[in-house]
Amino acid sequence: MVAVRKSVEETKVALHGVVREMYDRIIKGDPPTMTLPVRTKNNIAFDPKLGVYKYGKKQTIRDATSLGSAKQLLRALHVIEFIEAMIDDGKSSTLREMYYISEGWGLGKFQSQNESNNLAEDLEIVTRCLREDFKLRPEEDGSRMIGNITLRERNRKGQWMRINARDDVGDSGYGVPYNVEKEKIEFLEHDVKFIMAIETGGMFDRLVENGFDEDFDCALLHLKGQPARSTRRIMKRMSEEWDLPVVVFLDGDPWSFRIFASIAYGAIKTAHISEYLATPSSTYLGITADDILAYDLPSDDLSKKDVEALNAELTDPRFADGWWQEQINMMLEIGKKAEQQSLAKYGLDFVTDTYLPEKLAELGLN
Amino acid sequence: MSIAEKMAANQKQVAISEFFEKNKHFLGFDTLTRALITAVKEAVDNALDACEEARILPDIVVQITKVDNKKDILQLDVEDNGPGIPRASIEKVFGQLLFGSRFHAIRQSRGQQGIGITGVVMYSQLTTGDPTHVESKIAKEATAVAVDIGLDTRKNKAVKSNQDRVDWGEKVHGLKIRTSMKAKYQKGRKSVWQYLRMTSIVNPHADILFIDPDGQEHHWPRVTEKLPGRVEAIKPHPNGIELGQLQRLCGESSESRMTTFLRRNFSGVSGRAAKELCQVAELEEKLKPKSLKPDQVRALLEAFQGERMLRGNPVKLLNPPTSCLSPIEELLIKKGLSKTIDSKFVTTMTRAPSVTQGNPFQIEVGLIFGEGMAADKPVEILRFANRVPLMYQQGGCLLTKAIESVDWRQYGLDQAGGRGVPKGPAAILVHLASTNVQFTSEAKEALSDNEVVMEEGRKAMLEMGRGLRKHLEKKKKMGKTREKFELINDIIPAIAEKAASLLELPVPDLAASITKIMSAVIAETTTTWNKETKQTDVSILLYNYTSRARSYTILVTWPEKQGGKMIGNELGGRKEATGVWAWKLETLQPGVQTVITYSLSDIEKGDWNETDVFYRGSQEVIGATKMDEKLLDEIRRQEQAFLEDNEMDEEDARELSEEDEKESLSIQEEVVSESDIPADTQDDSKTDSGETKQTTLFGGDY
Repeated sequence: MVAVRKSVEETKVALHGVVREMYDRIIKGDPPTMTLPVRTKNNIAFDPKLGVYKYGKKQTIRDATSLGSAKQLLRALHVIEFIEAMIDDGKSSTLREMYYISEGWGLGKFQSQNESNNLAEDLEIVTRCLREDFKLRPEEDGSRMIGNITLRERNRKGQWMRINARDDVGDSGYGVPYNVEKEKIEFLEHDVKFIMAIETGGMFDRLVENGFDEDFDCALLHLKGQPARSTRRIMKRMSEEWDLPVVVFLDGDPWSFRIFASIAYGAIKTAHISEYLATPSSTYLGITADDILAYDLPSDDLSKKDVEALNAELTDPRFADGWWQEQINMMLEIGKKAEQQSLAKYGLDFVTDTYLPEKLAELGLN
Repeated sequence: MSIAEKMAANQKQVAISEFFEKNKHFLGFDTLTRALITAVKEAVDNALDACEEARILPDIVVQITKVDNKKDILQLDVEDNGPGIPRASIEKVFGQLLFGSRFHAIRQSRGQQGIGITGVVMYSQLTTGDPTHVESKIAKEATAVAVDIGLDTRKNKAVKSNQDRVDWGEKVHGLKIRTSMKAKYQKGRKSVWQYLRMTSIVNPHADILFIDPDGQEHHWPRVTEKLPGRVEAIKPHPNGIELGQLQRLCGESSESRMTTFLRRNFSGVSGRAAKELCQVAELEEKLKPKSLKPDQVRALLEAFQGERMLRGNPVKLLNPPTSCLSPIEELLIKKGLSKTIDSKFVTTMTRAPSVTQGNPFQIEVGLIFGEGMAADKPVEILRFANRVPLMYQQGGCLLTKAIESVDWRQYGLDQAGGRGVPKGPAAILVHLASTNVQFTSEAKEALSDNEVVMEEGRKAMLEMGRGLRKHLEKKKKMGKTREKFELINDIIPAIAEKAASLLELPVPDLAASITKIMSAVIAETTTTWNKETKQTDVSILLYNYTSRARSYTILVTWPEKQGGKMIGNELGGRKEATGVWAWKLETLQPGVQTVITYSLSDIEKGDWNETDVFYRGSQEVIGATKMDEKLLDEIRRQEQAFLEDNEMDEEDARELSEEDEKESLSIQEEVVSESDIPADTQDDSKTDSGETKQTTLFGGDY
């Protein structure tokens, strides 16, 4: 099941399919239901054709025999009604706005923003539409980027603006918008050898200040922790359309491993659109468990939660390959984790003068 | 006066004024906030004790007013409607340290704790230089005596001034005290407010009004007209006696025979036991107690304590009588708690009296649970000894330890590691009634360790815990039923409507879906207090959401034992056991509902908050419990046995009391002569505490 962009009419028909399932069940004298895939790590499988992880065949039926599920169904109907109205009026709203609008939905109102976010995802999965089709956009903004890349972006007035992400921007870089699809952004030209995705703002700023993008002919992309959809999507597009390698530079802890998995293989939560968001050709640069030992980095002991996360990763199909198993086991063995910025132990320039050049050389990128 | 006598007298004079200074912390005057609480405590305890002895329902007014903010001077006014104090006794009560009648009588009293009201007079004088103003009216005099009392600490004597007579108008008897002192008023867990609040919980027969320094009134109304049971003095029990006391008793005895002496002066000693005690102590039965030599007294003590045995066993003694105890009793604790803390669930338990080291004691506990209290904080612990609140040293107290010894997690409260004070929206009350309350120190704020008392306390906690768990389980069940109703009455129709409007199709019929969703018979029970009729209205709705016809017998619990009456019960039904009523219902067709309604009269608000509903029938009823027939049989059996027992008990009691009358005459006289009992004595209040614990449908809560 490959998600493709839908027309307004197709979106409406897909949404009506969800309503129809409930209506028909009531006509038959059964409790109304909504059928959707199981969204856990036990139900994601590698899709060799797409090169990413997608939801497997396990399905869950949400039926109205318990109060909680029944309320979810009612909310889904309210959301569908709301989306249809937005489509008809040519409006869009943020997920948070929808959460507040639900105050007026009586019994169908959301108890938390998380609920409304999850429901939007549920509908994406069931209808195989994207939330862009639903006119819903996320709260979180995309990341920032610096490097010799030229693109054009359609502004609010509908005009295309040509932007070079090195010469036309300040120190904070080019701000990636929430929609990075072709109707909004077109890539024009570039002069970089690879894209480097960086977890923390501190490290991103360090590399910018040290002029790393120019010295090494690359584009720097700030992930802001677990990257937003638009961040993953723009990485995916650049990598695909320009055939550029992506290297990922993160902290050395179990949570960074997960960030990498969601970039390279697809996140469990968004496995229905992995082929849209994941960049299978990306490589984990560091910090690895090896690095902690090899560079003798200042480190912290693993917490109980860290250990639990690592153990969970050992059984996660996305980490099934030998290199990852080795890294995870090594981290468990040494019982330590380290931050990107611990490299500053050897001075502010160590990361750009020594660490990254050495690591990139291993990958044949330097 | 000999020189030695003079020296002794001098020593005493110095001692008494210094005694106070040196022992301020024992006496409860060590800090400015505590001094105020202690003063209120002494005055209020006296008022309650006096009213109890005189069989008067107490009305107590406590007022604190600011006199001088900068110097922390407060004025305390306490007024009661007690018997008053005869003019001649006023100066003794207020002006003499350690004056009191209760020091030798063995029975439960509030006055065991604290130095007495004289301490307040002394503290007032030491901190302000002013005397304490007292007004007292006794019933047989037309006007009240008014007098200012100061202290001559060197002579341990009162100094009277400004004596006068005042007209009190309508008020027949009572006592007013006005005293000023250096003290601080504070709010919170250790405050006058808390002291009075706690006092009101364990004295549900008292009406207490408190006016704080800001002029705000706090009123704890009387919730029962029943006075605490009259407490009787008892003779010492051999197990609890010490050598000195035994020597004194022997020396003061005028009995001519050891056996008579033993039987008359001790409780729990039968004629046979008296002979056996003499035998093992190697004393002649004919011996005069007065002539006993120290060795012989010691031998007698060893016999008392079971160190000297008869054929390998200690001499068998009866337990001391427990009539000297005055428990508050379950129903009244319930009322006391309910009026102070607004909450739905209260469970209480009065353990049967027990004995430790010759001292009778009794543990009572109460637990109140509900939304009004903080869920993430430790539960509030309300400790009492002989109806007096204990407010300090909670951690070191036996009663706290009894609470901490229980793993409350299994009963639905949070408790880190299953130890310590549990957390949750609850308050736990523990009351120890005893003739001899043992404290950890002279401060008298924490009870010292005692395994027997601890075990009793623990058992009571476990029992209450079970009640709490049942309540929580039931609440959860009811919550589920409510959810089901919301589901079929609100959510499913909303889904159908919205789906139909989105698809522009007609709204479908829901009956079949709803039957499938519920596939159950559901009972919805409400028990509510009706303000207008002063009755508790109960309704039980039964819906059949299955596809087949069903028939049931529905059973409910109701407060028959508490004297409640069932009225307006149009469906009739029949009695299944005491407190259990049953209706056999007509067959209930699919999709049909029926309702049982009735009201309960002759009970008060808060007496009956929950009705347990049971059913007999094959298909499960959500919101009711399947009747456990074995349990019901057991209840009936116990009831029968209980009735038979009672008849026997009454006969026994008659015989025993005749015997007792003769023996206890001397002590009874002493007790009565100590207090002035006014003419309007109410003496119908000996509570009937003979009820034995029995299996109930609800964890021993009824």
